[in-house]
Amino acid sequence: MTAMDSLTPVLLTPVVTALLLLLVPGNLRVVLRAVAIVGSALTAWTAIGLFSRFHPGEAGLQFESMVPWVTVGPMKLAYHVGADGLNIGLILVTGLVGLAAVLVSWNIERHVKLFYVLLMLMISGAMGAFASLDLVLFYFFNELALVPTFIMIGVWGRGEDRNWAAFKITLYLTLGALTALVGLVALYVAAGADSLDVTVLQRHLAAHPLPVAAQVWIFPLVVFGFAVLVGLFPFHSWAPLGYAAAPTATAMMHAGILKKAGLYAILRVAVPLMPEGASRWLPLVAVLAIGNLLHCAWVALRQKDMNLLIGNSSLAHMGFAFLGIASLTVIGVTGTVLLMVAHALLAALSFALSGYLETQTGTLDMTRMGGLLRRMPFYGTALVMGFMAGCGLPGFANFAGEATILFGAWKALPLLVVIAAWSGLVIGAVAMLRALRAVLQGPERPEFARVADTGYWRRLPFVVLLAAMVLFGVAPGLLTTRIEPAARVVVAAHRASSPAAPAGSEAPAPAASAHSPGTPAQSRH
Amino acid sequence: MEHAAAAAAAAQHAVESGSKVQDLAWAILVLPLVMAFGTAVFTPRDRMLSAAMNIGGVVVAFLLSFTLFCVFGGQSVDATPFHWLPVAGLDARIGLHLDALSTLMLLVVTGVASLVMIYSTGYMHDDRSYSRFFSTLSLFVFSMLGIVLADNLLMLFVFWELVGVSSYLLIGFWYEKPSAGDASKKAFLTNRIGDFGFMLGILVVWSLAGTLDIAALKEKLVANPALLGPWAGLAGLLIFMGAMGKSAQFPLHVWLPDAMEGPTPVSALIHAATMVAAGVYMLCRVFFLYTAAPGWPAVLGVLDVVSAASIITCIGGFTALFAAVIAVQQDDIKRILAYSTLSQLGLMVMAVGLGAKTGDASASMYHLVTHAGFKAMLFLGAGSVIHACHHEQDIWKMGGLRTRMPRTFWTFLIGTAALAGLPPLSGFYSKDEILAVALEANPIFFGVGVLVTVLTTFYMSRLLLVAFLGKPRGEGADHAHESPSSMTVPLLVLAIPSVMVAWLPIGGFLAHHFQPGHAAHGGDILFGPFNHNPIAAFFGLGAAIFGFSLAYSLYGNGPAADPLSPRLGLLAQAMRHRFYIDDIYDGLVVPLHNLLSQVADTIDRWLIAGLAVRGLAGVVEIAGRALRLVQTGSIQTYAFLLTASVLLIVLLALK
Amino acid sequence: MIPGLHHYLIVSALLFSLGLLGVVARRNLFVVYMGLELMLNAANLALVAFSRFHNNLNGQVMVFFIITVAAAEVAVGLALLVALYRKRQTADVEDLTTLKL
Repeated sequence: MTAMDSLTPVLLTPVVTALLLLLVPGNLRVVLRAVAIVGSALTAWTAIGLFSRFHPGEAGLQFESMVPWVTVGPMKLAYHVGADGLNIGLILVTGLVGLAAVLVSWNIERHVKLFYVLLMLMISGAMGAFASLDLVLFYFFNELALVPTFIMIGVWGRGEDRNWAAFKITLYLTLGALTALVGLVALYVAAGADSLDVTVLQRHLAAHPLPVAAQVWIFPLVVFGFAVLVGLFPFHSWAPLGYAAAPTATAMMHAGILKKAGLYAILRVAVPLMPEGASRWLPLVAVLAIGNLLHCAWVALRQKDMNLLIGNSSLAHMGFAFLGIASLTVIGVTGTVLLMVAHALLAALSFALSGYLETQTGTLDMTRMGGLLRRMPFYGTALVMGFMAGCGLPGFANFAGEATILFGAWKALPLLVVIAAWSGLVIGAVAMLRALRAVLQGPERPEFARVADTGYWRRLPFVVLLAAMVLFGVAPGLLTTRIEPAARVVVAAHRASSPAAPAGSEAPAPAASAHSPGTPAQSRH
Repeated sequence: MEHAAAAAAAAQHAVESGSKVQDLAWAILVLPLVMAFGTAVFTPRDRMLSAAMNIGGVVVAFLLSFTLFCVFGGQSVDATPFHWLPVAGLDARIGLHLDALSTLMLLVVTGVASLVMIYSTGYMHDDRSYSRFFSTLSLFVFSMLGIVLADNLLMLFVFWELVGVSSYLLIGFWYEKPSAGDASKKAFLTNRIGDFGFMLGILVVWSLAGTLDIAALKEKLVANPALLGPWAGLAGLLIFMGAMGKSAQFPLHVWLPDAMEGPTPVSALIHAATMVAAGVYMLCRVFFLYTAAPGWPAVLGVLDVVSAASIITCIGGFTALFAAVIAVQQDDIKRILAYSTLSQLGLMVMAVGLGAKTGDASASMYHLVTHAGFKAMLFLGAGSVIHACHHEQDIWKMGGLRTRMPRTFWTFLIGTAALAGLPPLSGFYSKDEILAVALEANPIFFGVGVLVTVLTTFYMSRLLLVAFLGKPRGEGADHAHESPSSMTVPLLVLAIPSVMVAWLPIGGFLAHHFQPGHAAHGGDILFGPFNHNPIAAFFGLGAAIFGFSLAYSLYGNGPAADPLSPRLGLLAQAMRHRFYIDDIYDGLVVPLHNLLSQVADTIDRWLIAGLAVRGLAGVVEIAGRALRLVQTGSIQTYAFLLTASVLLIVLLALK
Repeated sequence: MIPGLHHYLIVSALLFSLGLLGVVARRNLFVVYMGLELMLNAANLALVAFSRFHNNLNGQVMVFFIITVAAAEVAVGLALLVALYRKRQTADVEDLTTLKL
């Protein structure tokens, strides 16, 4: 392990950028913007480097670094970060989405400095949440990313509802996070280990498993607490409203990245550490996921505002993610992580697109638009690609994730798979195609005669996100070979504790079996 | 270099291991995609270069396909696969499989696509989105070639979807026309409903057989015909749903006629040789699923008397008849051809279902190949007419085009005769095979086939007589003149296979694929049909002649309006309105989903966001207002409260 | 009579009560502040007494700390009061109710 192979640079770069931004006078907007772009580009580049140096097909942590910090009473706290299949993809997309979010923020005019500082804090918070292996650290970083969200909605938000939206999103997310915190503390107390480090807990609980009675009440606290952060039905109504009110970059970061922190925590902590709790409670999660898959998809169908449409349909996609977790199969969990990565890119792209549209037309009411493809060929193409990815078109990473989940969940939860397939293939497509029909197709409207297509530099964020989506859609193996060993670990505890688990679609192949006989070249750095 | 990157793997493998000739298939598949991408990114403004690149790509693909066809013939080989989605237990590959079916389809698809593209240089000459047109066409060809070459079900599904989206882009090519936008949306969504079933079918098969690979699946089913057990019927039907979407079988047929909103070359490509053929092709690919032991889960016990194959036969037969009846009263030249396509596809699907009994679907595949040729010619001919008549599509405003557009007329005539099934044109031989299979398997469907032939000849003759003969009835037709050679040459080239097929042993070639042991009968040579199954041949020929005489008696004298409509009365109304199927969907299915979404939205707004969330917020707020009274703002009150509380706690603690 | 521990404690309690009364009842902020100091010193007295009678120096050390910190606190507190007075032209507690919602 060289010094390069550590997650610390990727965590520090946005923080350092934020500090540098503080040194720049607030009226030098160009300089502020340049610093932010360079900082986030460096972060993205570092994340890409980490992703490509990650050894696929290996279980266990890579790039691990651990610095003991303090001991509070019986509890040891440490700066402990590391990557495995569950988070390496998320770290990569955090870098990419962060860069895109900075790039689309060219139209911020008030308090520019504060805006970029908060955005950089969000990026580092998200990175930290994904990278940390100590749950205290995870919680700290997650909050570090959430607090700027609230401030940004309040200060740079859109629409008349923005105070109510900021208020609502704050309440929901805080309550969700607090519930999860109570669960985590209870887990710590019940486990009797000497720290909240995931690896320590894992070892400790493998030797002394939690009593079933404890798992049964701690698991729901953790899972439903984090599920609120993801927007599990019926705790979802903050999301579309919040995103409609949030400034573009915030919506991109939150819907794309921070939402995934909840899912990530469920996969990292709740499912592997409390297998009994998982087998008791995940059926309920699966039932609630129907709410996401059908209810939110239908709600999306009715939206006239593009942001509300994107918000609701992204909730429907989260139903897929919950379905994959609830299946408790290696294929299902792999699919969930794949979808998390894919959806991060898609959600960010969608909000970036709607944000750009609003700068041009001054509205997001789709019933008032039409024929915009003529004036905006590049933008229109990007919108078609984004929305097609949103209704599960192969070639984009989202399809790979959704299909993997369907395959993984089929044996355990066939009925849900039918519903998910209907939601993803049909309802989602109706919503997306209606939107495309309303916005791009049809005769041109005279009132939008002056809208302009994206200039060359403003295409960059769209190109970055689309390229990543296509790359992982054409070669999802790049992700699955990294994810699968970790997914195996997540599911393994469950298997061991309940042999009659409704899984079994997997061949008993060894974890590290190389799937690609060609074992081809990988971009080097 | 030690990391596994699947993408690079395939590309590199395809290039490096040149020792395997079949890896050329990768080039066939990827070439159109590269051209589409290159056009979209690099030459969106250079019309000439865009056209040249895309035509070149497809023509080279055709030449490569021809090479592969010559090298392998009907041999079954696999190109080096690319591990697309490697997860243990679900090793989804992108693998290319070459055999009689796929090599033949490669030829058909790339051949027709090349001609359509060349034709488009003339037809789309004045369009301002010329480059976009070619790049989308190439994308479409890429998707279709993926279906043709797929060696496993998931890959089939992947390209199935890609065909769906590229057809969406092509049908909605003139996106500023509201009707085109609606039609593209409708096509995609209707297909998606079929895909939903297809996906579930794949899941059922995968979970029972443990493999997605078609060849491996076939082996397993041969070794153990009861592998799918009670799910065999359902799996077959679900997969058939996919074919229903793409091949536009009742009740998912509604998208195809509307899809005529796309430019005519698109109609020729999508609705003759490629997209609609995909469904039938896929059924032939997984044909062994329908010949395996039938079975139904207990819930569907009522279906025990039938097999999936017989349901497919019924749907196909019904679609064939139903669409042929509608075509009789259509006035739009492209819509007549569209319903004719529907009807012919119905025949092919019916033939697949009937073939399940004998284990031979070659009749269906044969008809698919011949139909691709003459239907593409007919569509391109119609395009030539429309182009000449200044985008007039109503046949009652045409007339007398025979003398004004001789080349178009003669090729159209050949196409019509082939479609009607007159020897020695291709349609006769392939339709005869279907009739022969039907006669052997089930006389009812033989009757359906004959009736469809009568109707087909009738409406095609009507089209020909009204549009090309008689006197011009409209401005456009009066001033029409022959289209440029970029458009007529492809027509002439397409006429060749229609005439030549009789001398080529395609039927035997295909029969050998389905039944390797079965000696191919020499029925393809000119008078073969009359020898080995005279009843079918004579009935087919008789039906065509009868249909033509009927049409001639009505339309031969050049009437100004359709003399049939008043005679049929209400029935004609129903036929014009496509038996109100679209209206039923618009009136029932669409409002139902809208209602559901409205209910969901209301729940979201009022129950969850309103009652639950605002309710909770309200309770908290009321509590807050009550507690606020305690907050006087005076420090001294706080200090007093503090002291009092401490005293209270001390007292309680001492107690 | 040699004063015992309880004598010191009684004095300390009286001082504390007087200080508390000053804090709760007086209107002038400066008097409130003096009350506060009185309470602090009552606690100091108790600490020193305990230290003396239990032969343990910890209490005295604690008192030194308190005296130092109190000095700093007085400096900051008085500065705040002066600033407040300059801004509001009043040192009456009744007038300072901005904490009220």
